[in-house]
Amino acid sequence: MNMHKDNMTNGKNTNLIDDNVISDPVMEQQIAHGISDLLKNRAQHLSPEQEQRLSAARNAAVSYLVEQQAQYNTGNQIAGNGHVLRWFDHLGQNFEQHRVASAALLVVVMLLTFFALQQFGTTHNLENSDAFLLASDLPPEAYADKGFDAWIESN
Amino acid sequence: MDRIQLGLRWALLTFFLLVTVAANADEANQTWGQLTESQRQVLNPLASEWDTLRPWQREKMLDIARDYPKMSPEKQGLVKKRLTNWSRMTPYERENARKRHQQFKALPDDKKRELRQKWNEYQKLPESERTKLRAESPETYGDSSLD
Repeated sequence: MNMHKDNMTNGKNTNLIDDNVISDPVMEQQIAHGISDLLKNRAQHLSPEQEQRLSAARNAAVSYLVEQQAQYNTGNQIAGNGHVLRWFDHLGQNFEQHRVASAALLVVVMLLTFFALQQFGTTHNLENSDAFLLASDLPPEAYADKGFDAWIESN
Repeated sequence: MDRIQLGLRWALLTFFLLVTVAANADEANQTWGQLTESQRQVLNPLASEWDTLRPWQREKMLDIARDYPKMSPEKQGLVKKRLTNWSRMTPYERENARKRHQQFKALPDDKKRELRQKWNEYQKLPESERTKLRAESPETYGDSSLD
């Protein structure tokens, strides 16, 4: 309770409470009890109109509290999921900001893939290349000489 | 803006592909003097006739020069020794040789040894007899378009 002066209206009486008094926890508790007792005493003599206004005020306060609580929960949920969303958003923004860099990166990746595939193809076809035919156990003439085939069959 | 970026990427890819294709085509059109030192060393047996070879013949020979460093010294010696005869074979004969070589590679070791021995025996036959055998043999592959 941070007030310089608290005017407590009790009918026609006005009690002034200074800061020193209210900062004392024991005294504060006593004051609270006093207020509570006063409210209880007065509550016995409320008119139907006052009761209705108090009830409406209470309902409004509770509704406001429920609404605040719901907003707080939703906000927390969004904030939880938002980490991933924000991450993607951030990534997208980065690509957007560095168009040239991302295009260059893409080209580099494509070139590396191209050369890797070419290298793989070269290695794969190495044993089938003409160089290895020339270095084979038999000279190339042996493979191309149809007379040799005929001679083998006849022998 | 995205379309422009996508177009730019495709243009770059096409450009690099065209450059690669053009580089290969240019290589096959190189004269003997335009070859690299390492290519000339491998293809030395063909030095005198290189400039008379057609682009597709040069391309095949350049493939041999490319694979040459990957071979053992013994195999490299065989390649150099056999290169001249190989360059003088017709495309049809070379294609036959490639197919026969594939079949030969699939044979078991003892069969390979037997064939090597038979080739040596065949070489000892008189040339006239070998010519007669060739003349009597039907074409293994009927695709004369390769000639």
